[in-house]
Amino acid sequence: MSRQPPLVIDNGTGYTKMGFAGNSEPSFVFPTVIATHQSASSGSSNASAGSGARAPPPIAGKPSHLASKRGIEDLDFFIGDEAVANSKTYSLHYPIRHGQIENWDHMERFWEQCIFKYLRAEPEDHYVLLTEPPLNPPENRENTAEIMFESFNVQGLYIAVQAVLALAASWTSSKVNERTLTGVVIDSGDGVTHTIPVAEGYVIGSSIKHIPIAGRDITYFVQQLLRDRGETAQIPPEDQLRVAEKIKEDYTYVCQDIVKEFKKYDADPYKYFARFAGEHSVTGRKYDLDVGYERFLAPEIFFNPEIYSSDFLTPLPEVVDTVIQTSPIDVRRGLYKNIVLSGGSTMFKDFGKRLQRDVKAIVDGRIAGSEERSGSHLKSSGVEVNVISHKRQRYAVWYGGSLMASTPEFYNVSHSRVDYEEYGPSLVRRFSVFGSAV
Amino acid sequence: MIILESHSVIINDVLTDRFEKPSRADIQFVDYDNVRFHLSTPSSKTQLLLSMGIQCWPDLVKYGAREHLQDEYQDYLLPQDQTEQEYDVSLIIDLEKLPESGEDRLALISRISHLKSTAMSSPFLSAFSEQSTLQANYKEPAGAQQADIVQPENKGELKIVRYREEEAIYIQATNDRVTVIFSTVFKEETDKVFGRVFLQEFVDARKLNALQNAPQVRYSNREPPLEIRHLPGLKNGEDWGYVTFVLSPRHFSNPTQAQANINRIQLFRDYLHYHIKCSKAYMHSRMRHRVAEFLKILNRAKPEVAATEKKTATGRTFRTR
Amino acid sequence: MSNTLRPYLNAVRATLTAALTLENFSSQVVERHNKPEVEVQTSPEALLHPLIVSRNESERVLIEPSVNSIRLSIAIKQADEIEKILCHKFTRFMMMRAEGFVILRRKPLPGYDISFLITNFHSESMLKHKLVDFIIQFMEDVDKEISEMKLSLNARARIVAESYLSTVSLT
Repeated sequence: MSRQPPLVIDNGTGYTKMGFAGNSEPSFVFPTVIATHQSASSGSSNASAGSGARAPPPIAGKPSHLASKRGIEDLDFFIGDEAVANSKTYSLHYPIRHGQIENWDHMERFWEQCIFKYLRAEPEDHYVLLTEPPLNPPENRENTAEIMFESFNVQGLYIAVQAVLALAASWTSSKVNERTLTGVVIDSGDGVTHTIPVAEGYVIGSSIKHIPIAGRDITYFVQQLLRDRGETAQIPPEDQLRVAEKIKEDYTYVCQDIVKEFKKYDADPYKYFARFAGEHSVTGRKYDLDVGYERFLAPEIFFNPEIYSSDFLTPLPEVVDTVIQTSPIDVRRGLYKNIVLSGGSTMFKDFGKRLQRDVKAIVDGRIAGSEERSGSHLKSSGVEVNVISHKRQRYAVWYGGSLMASTPEFYNVSHSRVDYEEYGPSLVRRFSVFGSAV
Repeated sequence: MIILESHSVIINDVLTDRFEKPSRADIQFVDYDNVRFHLSTPSSKTQLLLSMGIQCWPDLVKYGAREHLQDEYQDYLLPQDQTEQEYDVSLIIDLEKLPESGEDRLALISRISHLKSTAMSSPFLSAFSEQSTLQANYKEPAGAQQADIVQPENKGELKIVRYREEEAIYIQATNDRVTVIFSTVFKEETDKVFGRVFLQEFVDARKLNALQNAPQVRYSNREPPLEIRHLPGLKNGEDWGYVTFVLSPRHFSNPTQAQANINRIQLFRDYLHYHIKCSKAYMHSRMRHRVAEFLKILNRAKPEVAATEKKTATGRTFRTR
Repeated sequence: MSNTLRPYLNAVRATLTAALTLENFSSQVVERHNKPEVEVQTSPEALLHPLIVSRNESERVLIEPSVNSIRLSIAIKQADEIEKILCHKFTRFMMMRAEGFVILRRKPLPGYDISFLITNFHSESMLKHKLVDFIIQFMEDVDKEISEMKLSLNARARIVAESYLSTVSLT
C-alpha cells in the first residue's frame, strides 16, 4: 500500500507549525505553550534550572474533572490555543526558549497531543521531520531522538536545521533557477531576527548574527507613532496593540527613499493616508482613524534602526554584509547571490527589493574603493547580489520541511527505527544533509 | 486528554473556515488506521471536494458501507464513478448551497468530520441488525439451557475488517450478542509488556460495580480466541494480543448510543496504543526527575571549591560560569 | 524486607570503603599511559580479588578492586517481566546520561544491570565516604523507584481501562 505522508513539525519559540508533508501550508499553527495543572511556582523554577533539578513529576495534583482519577494527572493538560483559553485555571509553560527545548517533560507531552489530538496520526506509521535552531547542542538532538523513538515508536526521524529548510523553501521562487543549499537566510519572526549563512547545507556558526528587532518591535513602533499623533485617543487601551498589529499587517510597505516618500505624503495626503475602521471588542462601538507615515516608517526600522531604538544601530543590509564578509572567502559569492527571506516579519511589500538595493550599494562601494586603491589597474567583474522573496515566506521553514519530506530521498537520509535500535540515540549526531543533489 | 475524539480536527477547522469565506484548498492529511484524506477545490472556490482513502474499503463495501454513507451524506456523496482517483469515497460540498442557520451548519460540519467513523461503523451496524434477526428467529433449543452453547445456525457471518496492515477487527453476531475481536501487534519489547498490563486491566476493570454495564472484555495473547481460531493465517506469538468485546443487545438498542459505542470501539486499538505511549512519556519524566536526584547526591561528593575572586589585569572582577 | 536489606547494604558499604584505597599507578605496558587496571586487565599483579556480595539470587553486587581503580556492578531485583523492562529502561536512560555521572560506566558488565568505575582520580577529587553514600543511596532508591513505576503503571492502566469502558455503556 502507499506510504503514509511524513509528519512535519516545526516547533518555534513562539509558534508551532505542523502538518503533513506535501502540503503547501501547515495544517495547524498555534502557540508553543502547554497548560498544566502544576503550580506556577514550580513552573518558573523550571525555566532557570532546565529539566534537571525541578519539582517532581506530576504525581499528586489538585483534583479536576479528570481526576477523581489519581495517577493520571499528567494527561490533564492543554496545548496551543486551548492552553491560552484555559490559562485561568491552568498555569502556562513555554517549553521552548530561544529556539531550544528547555523543558523536556513538557515538550514530550506537547508532542503527545500534537500527534494524537491534532494530527490524528499513529506515529508508528509515519516518518517525522522536526526542526532545530542553528547551533543546537547534540545532546538536545539525542534527547529528541530518544523521545521520538522510545515514546512514540516513530518509523523514522529527521532533524533539520531551520535555516536550511528556509533555503529549500526558496526554490519555489521563479527567480531561483539553480537549487543550491548555499545562501544567507534572514529569519525574522516575532522576537528576534537572525541572519544565518549556510554553505552547502552546513551552517557557518561563527558568522551568525542576531538583530534584536523583529515583529513585536514593529508593532510597538506603530503604536508609538499612532500615540504621538494622538490617534490612539479613540482606541480603547486594551485594543491598542491589536490595532497596531492589524495596521502593521495590512497597510505597511517598504519605501525606496524615505525623504521622497515624506514629500509625496505631504503633497497629497488624501491619496496616501489610509483609513482604518475598527470596532470596540467589548462594547461594539465603531471608530476609525488615519493611518499615515507609519505605513512606510514601520518596516523602516530594519533599515534605519535609530528611528526606533537607541541600543541597536546597525541597519539590516550592513549586518547582512558583515555576515557574508566574515564567512569563508570561497563561499561569499554564493552567499551574495542567494539571500533568502523567511518568517512573517519579512513579508512587507518591497522588503526584498530595498534590501537588495542597499546590500548592492555597499558591495559596489567596496569594489569601487578597491579598484581605485589599485590605481585602476584591476577591474572587478562585479558581484551579483540577489534577495529572494517568495510566496511561502511566512511559513518558509515548515514549507521547506514539507518539500524535503515529500521527496523519495527523504527516506534515505532520515534515521530509521532499525538504525536507532542498533546504534541508540547517538545516531542523530551524524548529520546528513540532503537536497543538495536534488 | 484521556479519550480520543472520533472526529477529524482538520476537517472541522477547514470547513469552519471555508464556510465563512470560500478560498482555494489543496490539503492532504490522514487519520488513524491508514486513512488518507484529500480536501481540494478542483473546479471553483465554492466546490469543496473531500476524498477519503481507507485501507479496508474492500472489506467495508462488503458490509454495506456505501449504502450507509449514502444514507448519512445523501446528496453530498459523489457516485462511485465520480470518486476521485486513488481514493475510495468522495464528498462534494457546494458552499453556495449551505444550510442557512448556524446550527445546521455546525451539524453538517460535525457530520462531515465524522466521515471516517461513519464509514467504519457499517460492519458494526450490519452485525447489529443481523443479531436482531437472529434473535427474532431464535427458538430455545430443548435441553440447552446455557446461553454459552450457541448452535451453529445461530451464528451470523464472521465479518473481517483488515483495518491495518497486519491487524484486523472480527465481528460476529449471534442470537444474543455481538462479539468484536481486535487483533493487535506490539512492535517493541516495552510495548508488549505495557500492553499486557493494560489489557489485563481492561479485563479486571469490569469487576467494578460501576462498570457492570460495560461490555464484557476478554483478552488472550499468543492464542487467538476460539471464535476465530478456524481462520487461516492468524498470527500468534508473544507480540500479538487478541481482545474480545462482547456487546449485548442492550448496548445498541438505542441508535444514538449504538453510534457512540461504535465510535468508541473502533478506536480501541488507537486508544490502547496512545495510552501505552503516554505511559512511556510519563516514565520518561519520572526517570528524568530521578536521574536529576541521583546526580544531586553524587555532586555532594564533590568538595566545594572556594570561589576566589578573580581579577583581570585592569582590576575588573569577573565570574566564571 | 528491610531486615535483610540492611545487612546487605552494610556489607556493600564496608567492602566498598575497604576497596576504595586507590593510588596513582602508571601503566606497566604502555609508556606514559595511566589506565584503570581493572578495565585493561593487562598486569595481573595490579588486580585484587573480585568479590560478590549477594542478597539473593537476583540481587548481588560484584566488586572488582585493583591498584588504581575499582569496578562495581549491580544486579537489580527483577521479580517479573514488568520490573525487568522498567529496570532495563531506567538503567539505559541513566547510562545515556553517563557524562554527568562521572563514575558511571556506559555499559554494564555482562550479567549485571549497571556498572560503576571509580578510579584514583575520582577518589582524589571527590569525598570518598560521599561516593560510597551515593552508591548505597542509589541501590536503595533504584528498587524503590522501579516498584513505584510498576505501581503507577498498573494504576494508569486501571484508570485507562475504566474510563474507556465507562463510555461504552448502556443507554
